[in-house]
Amino acid sequence: MATEQGSNGQMEGQMELHGDELLVVDGVKKYFPITRGIIFQKAIAQVQAVDGVSFTINPGETLGIVGESGCGKSTLARCIVRLLETTAGRILFEGRDITHVSRAGMRPIRREMTMIFQDPYASLNPRKRVGFTVGEPLEVHKLGTPSEVKTRVHELLEVVGLNPEHYNRFPHEFSGGQRQRIGVARALAVNPKLIVCDEPVSALDVSVQAQILNLLKDLQDDFGLTYVFIAHDLNVVRHISDRVMVMYLGQVSELAPRDALYREPKHPYTGALLSAVPIPNPERGRAREAIVLEGDVPSPVNPPSACRFHPRCPRFVEGHCDVEEPQLRPFGEGHVAKCHYPLERWPMTSSEMRRRGSAEAHEEPVEA
Amino acid sequence: MALLEVKDLRTSFKTEDGIVKAVDGVSFSVEKGQTLGIVGESGSGKSVTCLTIMGLNARRTTISSGEALWKGKDLIGAKPSQLRKIRGDEMSMIFQDPMTSLNPVHTIGKQLVEAVQLHRDVTVRVAKARALELLKAVGIPKAEARIDDYPHQFSGGMRQRVMIAMALINDPDLLIADEPTTALDVTTQAQILSLMKRLQDDFGSAIIMITHDLGVVAETADDVVVMYAAKVVEHAKVHDLFNRPQHPYTWGLMGSLPRLDADTDRLVQIPGQPPSLLRPPSGCRFHPRCPHVMGVCRTTEPLLEGVERDPSHLQACHLDQETKDREGTKLVEATMAEA
Repeated sequence: MATEQGSNGQMEGQMELHGDELLVVDGVKKYFPITRGIIFQKAIAQVQAVDGVSFTINPGETLGIVGESGCGKSTLARCIVRLLETTAGRILFEGRDITHVSRAGMRPIRREMTMIFQDPYASLNPRKRVGFTVGEPLEVHKLGTPSEVKTRVHELLEVVGLNPEHYNRFPHEFSGGQRQRIGVARALAVNPKLIVCDEPVSALDVSVQAQILNLLKDLQDDFGLTYVFIAHDLNVVRHISDRVMVMYLGQVSELAPRDALYREPKHPYTGALLSAVPIPNPERGRAREAIVLEGDVPSPVNPPSACRFHPRCPRFVEGHCDVEEPQLRPFGEGHVAKCHYPLERWPMTSSEMRRRGSAEAHEEPVEA
Repeated sequence: MALLEVKDLRTSFKTEDGIVKAVDGVSFSVEKGQTLGIVGESGSGKSVTCLTIMGLNARRTTISSGEALWKGKDLIGAKPSQLRKIRGDEMSMIFQDPMTSLNPVHTIGKQLVEAVQLHRDVTVRVAKARALELLKAVGIPKAEARIDDYPHQFSGGMRQRVMIAMALINDPDLLIADEPTTALDVTTQAQILSLMKRLQDDFGSAIIMITHDLGVVAETADDVVVMYAAKVVEHAKVHDLFNRPQHPYTWGLMGSLPRLDADTDRLVQIPGQPPSLLRPPSGCRFHPRCPHVMGVCRTTEPLLEGVERDPSHLQACHLDQETKDREGTKLVEATMAEA
């Protein structure tokens, strides 16, 4: 437990708050117990789904969160909107600690932050008319008379590009893209400040995906929204985000302004992710070589020691990476990465990546 | 002679709402050792085309016509027993979802051995040796120990490797991969794609790569077929397709991609939804969504024809060549700008 507090303290120490952040996530952890037994359940292990994640979001910006399945990005989203109780750490919304606010206390805050879910087929109630689904948040928060609610719903349907005449239709009458628009309308209904989007376009075809991405950008411009945008597609995240956070096995491996992350990634995992994305250009795509990682993402029940990426890392140094956990270190304005041997430049081939100069290995490469 | 030659393939399904023409006059051919990419959105008919070639549609509700000549023999009218001989032996398929395409109650070893013994008169011992060889070839660590494991004991990427091993175990001439990496994470996708490329070099099989991802096509295919609403709208060599795209739908697909290698403020969006195949639009099927629509597009269906300067570049669009070249170049230049 002592180490846990230690790393927690470090997280807090690193956070410099200037007071007008919309959201502060500070050393958040979420462990799920694995239990055995039916009546007397006893925890035999823990899934460390999110393990000490810290970041801040300023009003009006979009933070993209990328990572592969099982990296904890969706769990993190659910912790932010308090659909899950965090195991440790704090969540501050508009400067107020909401980590342990009661259900009733959360209710007014839920007007300020809403969520868009991944699967437009599963996240809408098939037995409710679209008008009801979109207007429900207004009724829950007692915002307006029934006729005002109806007018507002018509307005919302129009804003997201649906025909207001579709008010009385059921979800099955809509295509995937239209359903996702319904989800967006519902999230917008209460005029939130923050929308947490959990893989909002992963289930859609590319042409429809472009429609939804453009819609989200337009809405942000029109209503000054702030997004936490979670996706596994690095292209999509690059398109929509101002800053990007890369997660691996429940931890932040790199967090940087968009262009810095995509042009000068520092963490080998970010580099591997970027090089693995197929490029829709035959000359450029075939000219470069994907950095193919070995093996699979390890289990978060029993994560690797020290740096969690070390068993798959092309730059792994025995006796260092598997012994001493790297801390998030700064690499220029708002750019942090958690690696002992950050990438010196980009792009790189696999062999260049493996060839980290052993002389400079133990020096601390500090960059402006 | 082409390895596989598909001519005017048509597949319809009888449904409660009427007849759905899922594939409507598709033609292409695949040469030995070559990779053909088929791109399109959901419902464009790319998977059904391949299921029809393999004879895997439900026979009771499907009507197929046209020809699929496999080494000169037509597969469309072939007896199920003949198809069974070819499937899994000369021609095999990898499906999208590795979680559901392996039998959960048998060990992977048993399933691989079965695949060999269906087509070869060999003992279990020989078949198992072959299975082990393939598991090693696709990069399953500790293959000897894992051959007796059940599918649930493998991760998604490993299961897809097992599927590839099974598809390649009888040394097929053609491998049909239906979205082989869609269910996988990007680093796993890179592993599987580089594995497929290596195996193609080693085994010399032809591949039909079905995908919705233009990036995957650009990096793997030699030839590309673009499908929209059950029809082929463009068919070209991969370099020609990406450097001189001719069809407005192809432009739309390329423009709607957020990409790592280029900066775009706003994505080009194709308005509307893909049409219902129960009642496809008149004329050109893309016309309700096409930004360049003309009167003739609503009434007359464009033919799939070669471009004047390059007869091997096929496209189905009424626009004049000048407009096509101008718009295509504009799009390519927009995406060529280095990020």
